[in-house]
Amino acid sequence: MRPTAPDHSGTLTPSSVRPGEDRLARVAEPSVDVSNRFDLDRGLVDRTIFSDPAVYRQELRRVFAPSWLFLAHESQFSKPGDFFTTYMGEDPVIVTLGKDRKLRAFLNACRHRGMRVCRADAGATKAFTCSYHGWSYDTSGKLINVPNGGDYPAHFDQDRWGLIEVAQLDVYKGLVFATWNPDAPPLAEALGGLTWYLDAMVDRDPEGSEVVGGVHKWVLEGNWKLAAEQFASDWYHVNISHASALMVMSPTGKGPKTEIVQAPGRQYTDPLGHGHGFPTHPKSRFDDRVVHEWTDYEALRERLGDARVEGPMTTGHGTVFPNFSYLPVNGSIRVWHPKGPDKMEVWAWTIVDKSMPDEVKNAQRLYNLRTFGPSGIFEQDDGENWSECQATAHGFVAGSMTLNYQMGLGLSEEDGVHPGTTGRLYSDGAARGFYARWRDLMNTPAWHENEKDTP
Amino acid sequence: MSTHAPETTPAAVDDDIRLHFEVQRLYTLEAQLLDQHRYADWLELLADDLHYWAPVRTNRLRRQQALADGAPGEVAIFDETKASLAWRIRRFDSGMAWAEDPPSRTRHLITNVSVQAGDAPDEYVAESAFLCYRNRLEREVDIYAGGRTDVLRRTTDGTLRIARRTILLDQNVLLAKNISTFL
Repeated sequence: MRPTAPDHSGTLTPSSVRPGEDRLARVAEPSVDVSNRFDLDRGLVDRTIFSDPAVYRQELRRVFAPSWLFLAHESQFSKPGDFFTTYMGEDPVIVTLGKDRKLRAFLNACRHRGMRVCRADAGATKAFTCSYHGWSYDTSGKLINVPNGGDYPAHFDQDRWGLIEVAQLDVYKGLVFATWNPDAPPLAEALGGLTWYLDAMVDRDPEGSEVVGGVHKWVLEGNWKLAAEQFASDWYHVNISHASALMVMSPTGKGPKTEIVQAPGRQYTDPLGHGHGFPTHPKSRFDDRVVHEWTDYEALRERLGDARVEGPMTTGHGTVFPNFSYLPVNGSIRVWHPKGPDKMEVWAWTIVDKSMPDEVKNAQRLYNLRTFGPSGIFEQDDGENWSECQATAHGFVAGSMTLNYQMGLGLSEEDGVHPGTTGRLYSDGAARGFYARWRDLMNTPAWHENEKDTP
Repeated sequence: MSTHAPETTPAAVDDDIRLHFEVQRLYTLEAQLLDQHRYADWLELLADDLHYWAPVRTNRLRRQQALADGAPGEVAIFDETKASLAWRIRRFDSGMAWAEDPPSRTRHLITNVSVQAGDAPDEYVAESAFLCYRNRLEREVDIYAGGRTDVLRRTTDGTLRIARRTILLDQNVLLAKNISTFL
């Protein structure tokens, strides 16, 4: 498959607007200045960012629409016509492999009345046909059939009414991302310094990674940022929130030793809003035993270097801004789909290294579903935390109080071992980085608000 | 009610009624133990070689319906052995399982039970429908509904144990923040 920037001729993405096309200018929405909701130098966050409906509308158009968003794993597509449906923000999209073996992503909405043209989660097809009036699109998004076409006026140009395609789609080591933003930097640049850390999960195996069949999907009463922020920055909660899980997983059955609880470690943050934290104590690991015994740590040291094997590969957690997160040891990759200010939907895949024998892949699958599946012994408690945070967000006093993000303030630095800026393991550093990026995007008109792009 | 040809001799009908009653009583006991959070006692109803499986359900085009229920080896909500269930239950007993502290109120309703002979002489295949209502804290409500297919085995002491359970939860996106009980 060849990930490339799609050709926009014939589609009506905002990037390809040309004078004379059949498109109305987008009606501008009022914008909210969010700068007074933060004082990140002092670690202060106004809690209304988690519940304000106007803020939510604005983040769909200024955070989600302009950013690279995770769609799927490359291994979900093997034959032309294979498709997978997901969301970018609240926009439904189809990801599909064309006859030319090019991976494309389209808005899953018929150009005629806006109904979803594909209502299956995944599968294989030759065309996406709207079951309302029968407009039909091929796997390259082209409109190929319009029933009663003779009743349209002479200037109706079928080639201009294909499915709306993303502006850019690219693959990073199996992870498929796309953006509606034609001006977004290339994916590798957008991932920035995080790739050194992310590679501890997706570049362990020269063969690459692949997904286990199926996706865990569940709902949560909580703002999406609660989860994205936690995966970027929050090792702090592990010993308390997950005390019960740590107890049953520790070799003694009584919980981890103090020296492990007080684990050293680092937390990466960057101006792009990404974050990754990890302990560095050699025994602070949650690996599945079968996977651990199979893993050739010497080969990994050679491939990725000692610092990565002893750091981000231990029990790390990370977030690619805005809403893609991962857990290297568990093989969990997930998207926090926003579903309104108070709701998110979690979509979680399990990935394994391709060269793992089947029994090791299976051990990793079982381990992930028992720990971080919706019935998992860790995930249960995370869900409780986020829904409880959201539950108090609507009181006037509780919902507008200032939250404390001061942990590790002033302690971030270059440590000479881990590239970029890192702080202590127990820190809000990557959360402050996440919100600095979010604030700046929220206060910057996106490409689609720029006058030069309207016809 | 079973799909095989009805046995009409009085003795066969009698056996069928007894078996059906026995299975109903097992499921009622199981539901009570789960609703009372007596998970260690619930484990006693399960055979040592248990496989307890809840695949993920997907939306598929009608011509690809064969793929709609997750296959063995794919991601699942549960894919458990008796040992892994015991591991999950030890967590509940730790006193620090916050997602169940305070505990949820649940009510497992089991209905539409049918039983027929299984592959082995001491085994039966039992189908049932379940509806588990969970009410949590002040106003959280979750409803888990679906069907179960069990292999029940008669042990040497004469009691029935659950040896296999396949749970088809009638949801695509799980409409709950977690599943902190068993189905």
